[in-house]
Amino acid sequence: MTEPKDTGGPGALTLNGLSLKFGSLTVLDDITASLGGRVIGLLGPNGAGKTSLIRTLLGFYKPQKGEVSVLGHPLRRGALAIRELVGYMPESDAHLASMTAVRFIRYMAQLSGLPSAIALERAHEALFYVGLGEARYRLVGTFSTGMKQMVKLAQAIVHGPRFLILDEPTNGLDPSTRRRMLDLVLDLRDRGETKILLSSHLLRDVEAVCDEVLILNKGRVAAVCDLESERQTNKSFVEVELVNPDGDFSDRLLSLGCEVAVVDQRRMKLVMPSGVTVRDLMTAASDNGVAFRRLDHKRDSLQEIFLRAMEADRGRV
Amino acid sequence: MAVYERRWRRYTGRLSPASLRLHVIVRYAIKDIFASKLFTIFYFACFLPIIVGIFLVYFSHNVPLLAAFGIADEFLGIWTMDFFAGLFLWQAIPAFLLAVLIGPSLVSPDLSSHGLSLILSRPISRVGYIVGKMGVMFFLISPPTWMGSLLLFGLQSNMAGAGWWSENLRFLTSHLVGHLCWITVISLLSLAVSAIVRHIWAARAALLAILFAMWAFGGLINEVVETTWGSVIDLMGSMVLVVAKIFDPAFSNPFPIWISWLTLLGYVALSLAVLNRKLRAHEVVK
Repeated sequence: MTEPKDTGGPGALTLNGLSLKFGSLTVLDDITASLGGRVIGLLGPNGAGKTSLIRTLLGFYKPQKGEVSVLGHPLRRGALAIRELVGYMPESDAHLASMTAVRFIRYMAQLSGLPSAIALERAHEALFYVGLGEARYRLVGTFSTGMKQMVKLAQAIVHGPRFLILDEPTNGLDPSTRRRMLDLVLDLRDRGETKILLSSHLLRDVEAVCDEVLILNKGRVAAVCDLESERQTNKSFVEVELVNPDGDFSDRLLSLGCEVAVVDQRRMKLVMPSGVTVRDLMTAASDNGVAFRRLDHKRDSLQEIFLRAMEADRGRV
Repeated sequence: MAVYERRWRRYTGRLSPASLRLHVIVRYAIKDIFASKLFTIFYFACFLPIIVGIFLVYFSHNVPLLAAFGIADEFLGIWTMDFFAGLFLWQAIPAFLLAVLIGPSLVSPDLSSHGLSLILSRPISRVGYIVGKMGVMFFLISPPTWMGSLLLFGLQSNMAGAGWWSENLRFLTSHLVGHLCWITVISLLSLAVSAIVRHIWAARAALLAILFAMWAFGGLINEVVETTWGSVIDLMGSMVLVVAKIFDPAFSNPFPIWISWLTLLGYVALSLAVLNRKLRAHEVVK
């Protein structure tokens, strides 16, 4: 794997007061967010508006209000300019059943503007990349569900887009194919040549690959969370359980600059200042003759963030 | 880089102009269509009226040969309005059958497996997509129809000498206008029907059914109510009336000719409305 070349920055995806209605049904309601992660997760329960948001980004749906821009290209200036930059893997089954995989991918590449010979070369490359090299001369209609998902990914990346939209990429995949799909997403992320928007209702998929998350609920923004900084922050929160509590130990921790909250006689929660590591805690414990029964970093998992966002949203209603 | 190395890289080269991407749609579609040997045979059979016409041009100007067969009189004055009107019909019917065969194979596969959402997620608009598909229809139906007429007219003008061209220009104009109108109407209709009926053979059957059902229903109205206005809904009948009027301005229509034009426009408008509603990357459920 190559080192990331781009650590992100604001402007990958900017939504400003975006509202979308189908008749009297409000699908997206005043969505405002600025997302710059390398892989942006789009989370939400079924019907939250994830797919509608993606289709709006591609210009399939015309928003009633608000502005959208992808990599700094505003949607109002024309969806075609955005589609030049984007690779899209839809949620539903989508292919051309009567074509061989390589012809299908080449067709998609040429429609994106690649010259014929380059499109053919990249079609082969994309199919090998997603693991369908051996099946590239088979009709797409004869592929299994997993292979169809992979061929959808291949058509989304064949033209080398700068922004990749993956709508439920692990839908219907068995565990090993799911792992392979996530590995491909991670590989694309780590190459740093493309930003990724990954929509899913599977928290562990989002947690595994995303560094920023937009959580939607009932068409509204329930939370925007920078998972990367959340992970960094959580590293300084530690919860310890002691075998033989000792009052001097907390004084020693305070002298190291830690914030200490004693939960009960045996348990305490700490916030370590920068520069203090778990190894320092171990040394302090050893010096004071204290043994740890348990030591945990605080795990404010995505699941907790998601549930909190849903709760807060329910409260707002 | 060898393709089996399993790596991915961004494309930073030049992109083809947007107009060329419509060519991609046309090229792929034509290659798919001619993959069927049966269709290829039928397609070349559609040139028969023109080939027969070319032979007639040659024979009608080869007096010694005609005299040898003793049929010189039969070929005198063959190049009349009736000949060109008959030729038009012999071209228009195969043209419709071509539209029946080609149209559904252009749109139905894209819709039945949701490939359209992938195509329209590229820098291609819905209008561009329809124009591309219409381009395929025009590209394939034009040679055995108006292009063939143009060739035949040119040959006859060349062999008949000066004056024939200008005296009979109306026949050529009638063929050009008539065929272009007919191709437009049947192409849009076949694309629209295939956008609704997503199975290729069912769409083909539906197209034939529409043509014959409208003809039969119009005829039934004419019979029952003892009128000629029933033909207003008949697509083929309307086209015949329009072309007959172009061929011969003195032709007496059963009703004002603008009504037949309106019928054709109605079919075009209806087809466009269906295409606008059905050819979307994703259906909007309200």
